[in-house]
Amino acid sequence: MAEIPTIKLAPDVITDIGPFAITNAHMGTFLVSIIIILAALYIRKGAGVKPTKAQVAFEMLMDFIMQKMVIAFGDKKTAKKFFPLIFTIFLFLLVANQFAYLPLVESIVTEDGIKLFRTPASHYSLPIAYTIFIVFLSHILALFIHPIRHIGNFIKIDQLWKIRKLSDIPMAFLNIFLGLLDIIGEVAKLASLSTRLFGNVFAGGVIIIIISGISTYTQFLAPIPFLILGTLAGFVQAFVFAMLSILYISSALNAVRKPQSI
Amino acid sequence: MEVEAAKLLAAGLCMGIGAVGSGIGEGIVGGRALEAMARNPKVSDKIFTNMIIAIALAESTAIYALVISLIILFVF
Repeated sequence: MAEIPTIKLAPDVITDIGPFAITNAHMGTFLVSIIIILAALYIRKGAGVKPTKAQVAFEMLMDFIMQKMVIAFGDKKTAKKFFPLIFTIFLFLLVANQFAYLPLVESIVTEDGIKLFRTPASHYSLPIAYTIFIVFLSHILALFIHPIRHIGNFIKIDQLWKIRKLSDIPMAFLNIFLGLLDIIGEVAKLASLSTRLFGNVFAGGVIIIIISGISTYTQFLAPIPFLILGTLAGFVQAFVFAMLSILYISSALNAVRKPQSI
Repeated sequence: MEVEAAKLLAAGLCMGIGAVGSGIGEGIVGGRALEAMARNPKVSDKIFTNMIIAIALAESTAIYALVISLIILFVF
């Protein structure tokens, strides 16, 4: 029986620059950034009125996300404002999630036997950083647009003024309580959005390591179905992360911009 | 019971029980989406993207269970 490689949640430290430890997850992030920049330069070079193949593919991808954003935000102007942010996250995750399954990338080791690259999202820092950024951005923007209305969406004191008769009282208190529950929901967003991305990507890598580590015979054909599944999961998770970020930002903004109907 | 044995048992139970709910949920989502696609094949692209989002959402409890069992196995 072949030896199953050790699986670690924390990334390995490669070098230290000052007080910062450069881990292999960092190196993976840098590599993804470089790949995206090179791809952008390549597509930009051939771009024109008569589109090249890469340009057509890229524009289809952009249109696809743009359509979803227009539906979520309700108008094209706001959607265009947030498009660079969402699309950057989407592109980054799209490339980064394929890392665990690309041959060679995770096989490069340094002199100490440490992997030089690691899938960026399989280190919890990256998903939690993106999630904190998205959730806080939605709240801060909503606070800038209409602070009182945004806070009023959570602490619904205005319900007390709406009491006209005695039978309204239970409903008003129920609404206040639901508003308080929404605060917990906002905290749960942080956990759910980040853990979803992290768990999927990390588990994809772990499954392949374990399957190919069971014995010598399972190293060649047995991991192929799991590789396909992992590739699909990588695409889907990038898409889902982008969609949910759109949903969080747009729902916070839409709740503030339009007056409440109830 | 030894601590090591308890850890292995806990991780296995956590993953096994945690996957039940999301398995049922994903089955319902996929089945209903296929029904809708068969009834109205013209909008199947739209239904497919929405189905994938719904499946990823239903999957999340299983993913939480997975993360917990990974933490039990590799961190403690």
